[in-house]
Amino acid sequence: MGYIGQRMTRVEDERLVTGKGRYVSDITPPGTLHLAIVRSLHAHAKITGLEFEAARNLAGVVGVYGPKDLEPIMRPLPKGMPDPRLRAQMPTPLAIDRVHYVGEPVAVVVAENRYIAEDAAQLVEVGYEPLLAITDPVEGEHAPPIHLGSQSNLAAEVHYMVGSGAAALSGADHVVEVTLRLGRVVGHPMEPRGIVAIFNPDTKSLLVYAGTQGVHGFRHSLAEMLQMPDNRIRVVAPDTGGGFGLKTRIYAEDVLAAYLAVQLKRPIKWAGDRREEFMSTNQERDQVHYAKIGVKSSGEIVAVVDHFFQDQGAYTPSGIIVPDTTAICIMGPYRVPHFEAVGKVVYTNKVSVGPYRGAGRPQGTFVMERLLDHAADALGMDRVQIRRINLLTPDQFPYHNGIPARGASMTLPYGEYQKTMDQVVAAIDYDTFRNPVQKGDWKLGVGVANYLEMSGGFGFEGAKMRLLEDGRIEIATGSSSQGQGHRTAIAQVAADRLNLPFEQFVVVEGDTDAIERGIGTFGSRTMMMTGNATAQAAPGFRKRLLEYAAQIFEAAPEDLHWDLGRISVTGVPTRSLSLAELAHHAASENVTLEVAAYFDAVGPAFGMGTHGVVVAINVKTWAIEIRDYRICHDGGVLVNPLLVEGQTIGGTVQGIGTALFESLIIDPESGQPLNATFLDYLLPAAGEMPDFKVTEVEYPDPTNPEGFKGVAEGGIMPPMAAICAAVENALRPWSIHADTLPVTPSDLFYQVAKGGIQ
Amino acid sequence: MTVEFEVNGHMVTIDVPEHWLLADVLRNQMDFTGVHLACEYGVCGACTVLMDGEPVRSCLTLAVQAAGRRITTVEGLASEGQLNVVQQAFIEHHALQCGFCTPGFVVTASYLVNQNREMTREQIREALSGNLCRCTGYQKIVDAVEEALRRHQATDPTAEDN
Repeated sequence: MGYIGQRMTRVEDERLVTGKGRYVSDITPPGTLHLAIVRSLHAHAKITGLEFEAARNLAGVVGVYGPKDLEPIMRPLPKGMPDPRLRAQMPTPLAIDRVHYVGEPVAVVVAENRYIAEDAAQLVEVGYEPLLAITDPVEGEHAPPIHLGSQSNLAAEVHYMVGSGAAALSGADHVVEVTLRLGRVVGHPMEPRGIVAIFNPDTKSLLVYAGTQGVHGFRHSLAEMLQMPDNRIRVVAPDTGGGFGLKTRIYAEDVLAAYLAVQLKRPIKWAGDRREEFMSTNQERDQVHYAKIGVKSSGEIVAVVDHFFQDQGAYTPSGIIVPDTTAICIMGPYRVPHFEAVGKVVYTNKVSVGPYRGAGRPQGTFVMERLLDHAADALGMDRVQIRRINLLTPDQFPYHNGIPARGASMTLPYGEYQKTMDQVVAAIDYDTFRNPVQKGDWKLGVGVANYLEMSGGFGFEGAKMRLLEDGRIEIATGSSSQGQGHRTAIAQVAADRLNLPFEQFVVVEGDTDAIERGIGTFGSRTMMMTGNATAQAAPGFRKRLLEYAAQIFEAAPEDLHWDLGRISVTGVPTRSLSLAELAHHAASENVTLEVAAYFDAVGPAFGMGTHGVVVAINVKTWAIEIRDYRICHDGGVLVNPLLVEGQTIGGTVQGIGTALFESLIIDPESGQPLNATFLDYLLPAAGEMPDFKVTEVEYPDPTNPEGFKGVAEGGIMPPMAAICAAVENALRPWSIHADTLPVTPSDLFYQVAKGGIQ
Repeated sequence: MTVEFEVNGHMVTIDVPEHWLLADVLRNQMDFTGVHLACEYGVCGACTVLMDGEPVRSCLTLAVQAAGRRITTVEGLASEGQLNVVQQAFIEHHALQCGFCTPGFVVTASYLVNQNREMTREQIREALSGNLCRCTGYQKIVDAVEEALRRHQATDPTAEDN
C-alpha cells in the first residue's frame, strides 16, 4: 500500500492536543493516598537520628516511615546491566545509616493529599553528622571510599585496544593532546517521574501505572523487591511525558509506593516534582577526557588514545553502559588503525549517572571531533580537509573497526560518508565562513562535525497481532512510547506488510497484560525491533486468517484470495467475508485469531551523518547565537520521514543544550547542587533555537530484513563538537579554546580577559 | 473558602483552602487534567490557562484569585468536537511528541492567534519563550503557530494587519 516512507500525521495527537492525554500524574483512583519523600540535605553524612513525631501528628497524615519500618524492602535495588568489570553499588529504597548524595531518600510520608504529605515531610527531623564529600572523580579515585566496606571509589575500568594502541603514537609525525570536560546534564523529560500503585487484597495482585520505558523489566524488578511473583503484577505505562533513557529502570520511590500500597491496602500515588527531577533522577555526561591523537604530516590518523574519568555519582543503576558506550563510539566514522581507551568510573557524592539520550555516543563523538579540529590546527590544515582524509570510503566497507562484538569485530555497513559531509559543507557555505567574518560587533564562524549513530542491536522485541471483533487488527508490543509516535509508525509497517488500510490497525503498547514478553524503548531500538517483529508476524497472521476462513468456506486455504480486507474463494466472488465478519464468526466459535512474532537483534545498525553550524559571537557581550544549522542524516529505510525529522531536530536541540546552556553545578566542598531550578539551570527555549535544515540519505541497514535504523540519538551526538568548532573559528584572532562544556559567554569573556587577546 | 468562577463555559462553585493553587484545583477537583505541572514555579508554562482571555500560570495563581473570572483550559478550546485552528495545525505539523508540554503551548498559541496580529517567525519564537518543550526542538511548533495565524487571518474578517 506504500505507507512506509510517508509523512503521516500521528494517530496519537488528537487526544494530546485536546488535553485528553492520560499521564501517570493524571491518575488518581478513589481513596488514593499521596506520598512525599524526605530527602537528604547532605551529600555525605551519617544519619544520627530520625524524629517523626511532629510529622505524624499533622492532621491528614497516615504514616511516616523510616528504614526500620520498612525492613522487608530494605535491600539493594536490582542491579541494572551487571558487568564483570564493575563493583556495583545499588541503593536501598531508603538510606540506611548513611546518605551518599543530596536528595537521597531518607524517609517517606503518606497522607490524604499531597499538600499535607509535603508539609509533613518538612516536619520530619533528621540528624546528620556530615562526612567528607567526594565531588571530583579524578581526585576521588584515591580518596577515602564513599561506600562502607569498599576498598576504593574506583567502580570499574573500561579498556579497549585496537592495533597497537597507545604504543602506535610513536609512529606519528605529530601528537596533539587535549583535555575535554563535559558538564553534568540533567535530562529533564517534561513529565517528572511518578507512579500509582493499586493493590487488590482479594487476588493479592498489584496494578501499577508508571511512566517507564520498559514495563516488563520494571515489573520484574518490582517483583524482586516485593518478593511477589511477576504474574501478580501488571505494569501499565500510560501516556509518558518524555523518557530519554532516564525512565528505563526502577527507582527507590517506585518500590516505596508499591510496597506501601500492599501494606496499607489503599492506592498510593507519588508524582515527583521538578526539584526531585534535579535531585533524584539519573544524570549524565560529566566526564573528563585526556585525549591524544597521532597524525602523519599528511593528516592521516595514526592512533587515537583517550584516558577518561566518568563521574559516576553514588550508585550504578545502569551499570557502566555510559562509559562503555563512550569508549566504543570514539572512533566514529573514521579509519583509526590504532586505538586505545581507558575509562575510569569513579564513585562520588552526587546523583547517580545513568543513560540520558545518547548514553556515551555524544561523549565519544565530542572527543574524536575535537581531536580532529586540534590536529588540523596543529598541522595548519583545514578542519574539513582532515576529516575528508580520514573518513571511511565506500571501498572500505564492510569495515571492521576492531571493537569486539559478539566474538568478532564491530562491522560498519556501506555508506558514502564523504558525500554526506560534502553536502553539509556546501549547504552551510563553509568556504565563506571558514575565514572569520565580522559584521558590526558580531564575529561569525563555522563548525562541522561528523558522527556515527549506533542504534539497537540487543535483545528481542515482539509484535502480537490479534483480530478484534470490529475487524480491526491489534498489534501489541512490549516497547512503549514516550513521544516517539510508535502507534503511527508501527501501523504503517503493518499496513504495508498485510496490504490493508492504515486505519485497520490499533497499536497497543506499555502494558504487561497485552504481551507476555518485552524489553522496552531505549537505544533507538523500537523501529528496528518492533518494526521487524511486525513485518515478521504479518505472513503468519495472514496464514492464520486464511486457514480459519478456509474452514468456514470448506475450501482449501490456497484457493482463497486476500484483497484489501476481504477474503474470497478465488473465482467465486459471492463467497467472501470481510475481516469484521470473520472476527464475528471467530467470536461465535470462541476462536482467538492471534499470531505473535519475536525479532532477535543480530547487531546494531550504523548511520553516519554530519552537522554544520554558523555561530555569531558578540564581542562586547560575548553572547553566542546560532545563525544557520544544517544536518545530513542517514536513518536507513525511513518509515515516517516527518517523525524522523522530529527526532533529529529534537535531539539536536538537546545537544545544543549540552553545548551552550546545561550544567548542574555542584559545590566542590559541600556537594550541594547550586542551580537546581529551571531559573538557574537553563534548558533551550524557542527564542534561542534556530530553524534547522535537515536532509536525509537512506542507506538500508543490512542486519534487519526491513533495513531500518534507529534515528533518535544521531541528533544529539555532534552539536557540541560542531558548536565548539564554530566558536573557536569565529574567535580565531583570540586563542580561545572551547574544550569545556557548556561554552558560555562568561567563559569566553574570562578567556579573553586572561590574556587571550593577541 | 467558597469561590465561584467560570471554567470552559460553565459556572462552578467550590470549597477550597486559601493556599491551594488554581492548577491543583483544576486538575484534582474538576478533573481538567490537561493542565499539566512540570515545574510548579512558573518557568515551564505547561500549566498555562487563560484567565479572562489572558494567559496565566495556573501553578502561580491561587484558586481564590480566580473568583469571578473566566478560565479556559486546553479542554475548553475545541468546540463541539471541532479542533481549533491551533490544535489542527499542531497535528498537521508534528508540533508535539510526548505531548506533556503541549497543552501549555496550545493555550499560549491560541491566545496569540486570537490577538489577530501578524507575527514573524522571530516574534513567534519570542512569544513562545515562556513555554519549555524537551522533545521537539520547537521548529515544528513555530511552523504550526505560523500556519494557525495564517489560517485564522484568512478566515477572520476582523484580523488586522499589525
